[in-house]
Amino acid sequence: MSDAPPLVVTVDRARCIGSGLCARTAPADLSLAPDGRATPARPTTEGSAELTEAAEMCPVEAITVRDAATGELVAPVW
Amino acid sequence: MTTDATTPAPGAPGAQPLVPLHCLLRAEAGPPRLAALPTGTPVWVLTRHADVRQALAHPDLGRAPLYAPDAPPITLTPNILDDPSSILNSDGPEHQAIRRTVQRAFTPRAIERWRPWVDGVVRELVGDLVASGSPVEVVEALTKPLPVRVISRLMELEGLDTERLGRWSDHALSTTAYSAEEIGAAIREFGAFGHQLVQERRKNPGEDLVSSLVQAADQTGGMTEAQITSLTIGLVIAGHETTMTSFGNALVYLLDPDRTDRPGQAEHPDRAVAWRRIGADPAAAAAATEQLLRTVPLGDRTTAPGSLRRATADVEIGGVTIPAGAVVAADAVAANADPEVYPPGPLDLFAPLGTPSLTFGAGPHHCLGAWLARMELELGLHHLARALPDLRLATPVDRIEWRTGLVTRSPLRLEVSW
Repeated sequence: MSDAPPLVVTVDRARCIGSGLCARTAPADLSLAPDGRATPARPTTEGSAELTEAAEMCPVEAITVRDAATGELVAPVW
Repeated sequence: MTTDATTPAPGAPGAQPLVPLHCLLRAEAGPPRLAALPTGTPVWVLTRHADVRQALAHPDLGRAPLYAPDAPPITLTPNILDDPSSILNSDGPEHQAIRRTVQRAFTPRAIERWRPWVDGVVRELVGDLVASGSPVEVVEALTKPLPVRVISRLMELEGLDTERLGRWSDHALSTTAYSAEEIGAAIREFGAFGHQLVQERRKNPGEDLVSSLVQAADQTGGMTEAQITSLTIGLVIAGHETTMTSFGNALVYLLDPDRTDRPGQAEHPDRAVAWRRIGADPAAAAAATEQLLRTVPLGDRTTAPGSLRRATADVEIGGVTIPAGAVVAADAVAANADPEVYPPGPLDLFAPLGTPSLTFGAGPHHCLGAWLARMELELGLHHLARALPDLRLATPVDRIEWRTGLVTRSPLRLEVSW
């Protein structure tokens, strides 16, 4: 029962330039769709250091990670 | 024989006025078509926004295969862009390992933190320019020193010989301005400088970009010393060249008295109104920056009709099967005018872009410095227009001296008055 609250990953697909950095950094949570743009790999996730890194490293800040219940921004925050 | 990186003197054989970059004809967006590089190598040219974007993000279209032993010739005179150890010519996991060492420093948030400092540098340069009195040569006064000051601060290169760095940078991006021997010698000197810098910062790390990239590379491992050095000098070049080019060409566009945004109507008032608006409203300057980046090309692209890639498998793009081994040119200039994406007709400088332009590319090689370049251009234009709302070109457009024989083209000198 100590599970972290579920998180939701969103990708702004108009902004996404398909660098692929996220899919390679956090393959469990992000993948590249056939059109070359990133897309969340699952509806919710428990999050990981890799996911945070992917959101922080996106060259155009197209990725956000939020708490599914509260909507609070989890990454990128620095 | 060597020619200098300048326009031939008027009256010299072959001298003819070059048109400003915004007046260049561009290919019409359409299906992929087969053409040839100056080397004779066949090339599939992509001109539609969707096709260019898809190609640049496609995992089976790489940069490294352009330099594989079986690759057809793609350049007549190689320059630094043809260095196989550069980030530019790596693909997949190897490319990402290199990019990760510097990516964090270039995200929109990271760059935004530099805004107050960049703003200060721009104000200082513009203040000095105004104080020196009309007319002024704006390349030496603003468009060149701004990016040099910014990259020097980020990399802590202050105190270094900027003339020498600028000369290396020109040689490194030469197409026809210098001989193969001169280019090679300059790149070797530049590389030795870069390697020494890497070693120094490894020994005495600071807060700068070189120190952080060396630390990241050494921690992660997997990057060769040549790759680390190449990345370092690549940042120096990028910081010297492209923003200056873009800024200079944007000024030619904005201050060109013959420019017409609304054909059939008096053009001069429109031009003056747009310039004043850029000075009055930072948001207008930001919007205009995006439109200028979309519509004013960086160069004549004499060496290739777009950004090159080579297929490692059969790839379908725009209804055409590009066979494995074929070379592809993604023409961002044409794609940036694709009527499917951007409204055709007169340019509205202040309209939001909607879809991001392809000026900075797309996919894994999307320009690292995109946000820094945008910020420098936006602040540079805003403060110049704010300080000098009546600024105009002091030289007719057809008398502008250009830096030629390089990958990019921009004014060598640009006299402005008020």
